[in-house]
Amino acid sequence: MNTVAPVFEDAEKGSSLWHDAWLRLRKNKLALLGGSVLLFMVVVALLTPWIAPYSYEAQNLDLGASAPSAAHWLGTDIFGRDMLTQIMYGGRISLAVGFIATAVALLIGVTWGAVAGYAGGRVDAVMMRLVDILYALPFMIFIVLLMVVFGRNILLLFLAIGAVEWLTMARIMRSQVQSLRQQEFVEAAVSVGLSPAAIIRKHLIPNALGPVIVYTTLTIPSVMLLEAFLSFLGLGIQPPATSWGLLISYGAETMEEYPWLLIFPGCALTLTLFSLNFLGDGLRDALDVRGSKD
Amino acid sequence: MKHPLSGAARTLRQAIVWRQINTARILSYVFSALSCTLLLSLSACGGGESNVVTGNRDGVLHYGNGTEPQGLDPHVVTGVPENHIIRALFEGLAVKNPITLEPEPGVAERWEFSDEGRVITFYLNSEAKWSNGEQVTASDYVWSWNRALHPMTGNEYSYMLFPVVNAEAYLKGEVTDFNDVGVKALDDTTLKVTLNAATPYFVQLMDHYSTFAVHPETLMQFGEMTDRYTPWTRVGNIVSNGAFTLTEWSLNRRIIVEKNEHYWDRDKVSLNSVIFYPMENVVSEERMFRVEQLHYTQVVPLDKIPLYRDMPDTPYVQAPYLGTYYYLINTQRPPVDDVRVRKALAMSVDREKLVRTVLQETAVPAYSITPPDTLGYYPPKLFDYDPAQARALLAEAGYPNGEGWPGLEILYNTNEGHRKIAVAIQQMWKSELGIDITITNQEWKVYLDSVTQIDFQVARRGWIGDYVDANNFLDLFITDGGNNNTHYSDPVYDDLILYKAPKAATREERYALFTEAETMLMEDMPIIPIYTYTSKHLIHPSVEGLHSNLMDSLNLKYVKLVPGRTLPETLR
Repeated sequence: MNTVAPVFEDAEKGSSLWHDAWLRLRKNKLALLGGSVLLFMVVVALLTPWIAPYSYEAQNLDLGASAPSAAHWLGTDIFGRDMLTQIMYGGRISLAVGFIATAVALLIGVTWGAVAGYAGGRVDAVMMRLVDILYALPFMIFIVLLMVVFGRNILLLFLAIGAVEWLTMARIMRSQVQSLRQQEFVEAAVSVGLSPAAIIRKHLIPNALGPVIVYTTLTIPSVMLLEAFLSFLGLGIQPPATSWGLLISYGAETMEEYPWLLIFPGCALTLTLFSLNFLGDGLRDALDVRGSKD
Repeated sequence: MKHPLSGAARTLRQAIVWRQINTARILSYVFSALSCTLLLSLSACGGGESNVVTGNRDGVLHYGNGTEPQGLDPHVVTGVPENHIIRALFEGLAVKNPITLEPEPGVAERWEFSDEGRVITFYLNSEAKWSNGEQVTASDYVWSWNRALHPMTGNEYSYMLFPVVNAEAYLKGEVTDFNDVGVKALDDTTLKVTLNAATPYFVQLMDHYSTFAVHPETLMQFGEMTDRYTPWTRVGNIVSNGAFTLTEWSLNRRIIVEKNEHYWDRDKVSLNSVIFYPMENVVSEERMFRVEQLHYTQVVPLDKIPLYRDMPDTPYVQAPYLGTYYYLINTQRPPVDDVRVRKALAMSVDREKLVRTVLQETAVPAYSITPPDTLGYYPPKLFDYDPAQARALLAEAGYPNGEGWPGLEILYNTNEGHRKIAVAIQQMWKSELGIDITITNQEWKVYLDSVTQIDFQVARRGWIGDYVDANNFLDLFITDGGNNNTHYSDPVYDDLILYKAPKAATREERYALFTEAETMLMEDMPIIPIYTYTSKHLIHPSVEGLHSNLMDSLNLKYVKLVPGRTLPETLR
């Protein structure tokens, strides 16, 4: 034992997965840019009540829809409300729906899929059949039902959307875990007596994160659009509160007369989605533990 | 049982389709707007010949018709989209002249008044036929009016026949033998109607679908006389007597009617068929019109109106319309069970501003339920936009500056136009009165249910005149009226509308009674009048014979299509 010890001391210093990932992510300029833009959006959304130039509900009907000007940088909507303010307040809802609902989906989906994939056999069959059943349920009806039963409430809206978006996540996670489970390092972990929970947490989930993160970046925009649709049906957010999805769907109705009502919220949404994609790509590369270590 | 199930299936499909369309639409808008390929993608939508071109050649009118109809049973339905289709399929005893609105012969070739106007004898045209070739007889009318008035039918428009002796008593079950009701078939072609009092507008009512005849044998094949929503209105089953017959009904897609070869006046009918499209989305309706997929649109998106108005040779047609847009108030639900609150709400809506801005001058501010100049009747203006008095009234009711306000919800049916009005009014109430208002929307049928069951606080409502007479607006609010929907009930009001006004000797006397009733109504404010409608359509230049009138009453029988005419250059 004594003769072996010094060799280990000279070896490369151990570094955690997350530290490695951060080092790799730092080199990815696009991902950093995406991250910064997102951070900026989140900060603006959080500070909106203090920094918004106008009140989001005060109308100026006589002004009506006006093109961008010095007073209203992004113009006004048909009720004469400042568009910049609308977008800032809309961002609060859209980002919150996007992140919270996706986090809910991520939490349920990843846990569910990992457990099913690792356990295999009958447990897996039962758990995945449940997912199949929920899949077969038209998810719109499901959300509408949830909203009707629990009443209209923004927080519930987040949960309801999250509760139907986790299904695909669970499937992706399960297939990842199933293929990883056969690999030697998992067998090694089993042989040293790690508990299944620890194996899932320490070995399986980190290894399966790549596809999950990519899928997450795709879920966020679809959740934002889903919220817009629910609001359109009268089940989501009700005026004067607003979201990007709603602003876009209203803007689309008048895009020929007042294009700025569509373009600016569209830009805000697109910018967020691009940022998410770049960041997601970067994260996937950074977290790919099987990638070459330099 | 069949109906609610099919309804659910439809909603499901609609929801899925909507989601796809909506997501795809939003995404496509975002990207096309960004890349400025908008116009390209729009013009690329066409391909092949447009509906208008083929329609003009084959005599097919493509007609945008608002929402999917609730049904096609004349004694069951209540909506405007239903009206358009039913009036193509059926014909009343008398029809309105499309220009003057005076009654002219329909199934009845002439009619006579006797006993100081209390008795009307209709002489039916012996050539008037059902679409299966059988003659339309006076006894068909007796049978149909029995159905329309029977308490089991649940016809919300049964009051259209209340001028007839014992009609109301029959509906209420006080008279159980229909022979006691004042309608008799003297022979196949003679129908004698006895009225409670001379009713100046009664012949006009013969053009309303609730007084139409249905084919008794057909209905009996599919159930009892009073059954609602039996399959008798389906394609292949329905037998009708109008200028057209039903040949296709695809839910949420289209309804096709074709020329009725048995119609008595068939030589005057120029169209071979009409296709009705349910177009809930006014924006896509306008787009379909622009790419020549529709000859006629039911409405025009508000934001597009200035554009169309300034266009040379515009297809845009705007005309005054016998209809009022108002908010219903549930007078039994707090906080609007207090008349002072209701008045405060009514007084703090700046209608002039609303009409000028949100409605783009396409409506007239309303301060009463009856539209002005309804056959010479001008309603009194009893209140005005007065935020100071509104605040005082609200304070008196216990909510000074909105303190202690329990909240109020405005309900409207899913529609862009209604949303805009609600958002503007929400903010007017909030800024003038300091009260919080939520607004919520429901799909048309759900909304209709909520309104019928008076399950709301404030709900948007529009009323379109069924005939040109103030009575048609004022009798909405008689106690337990089918379209009252506010719990408003006042025996004095009922007496004025049901008994005093019909017996008035002269027009002046009658209008004075109406003014009195209107005053009572606005003192109690179970509704908040907002504006008087105008009818707005886009009509393709190839369409002739669609005259605009106060009733927006179209008789498709007179419509002609002239091939070769196209939309103005600026639109293409």
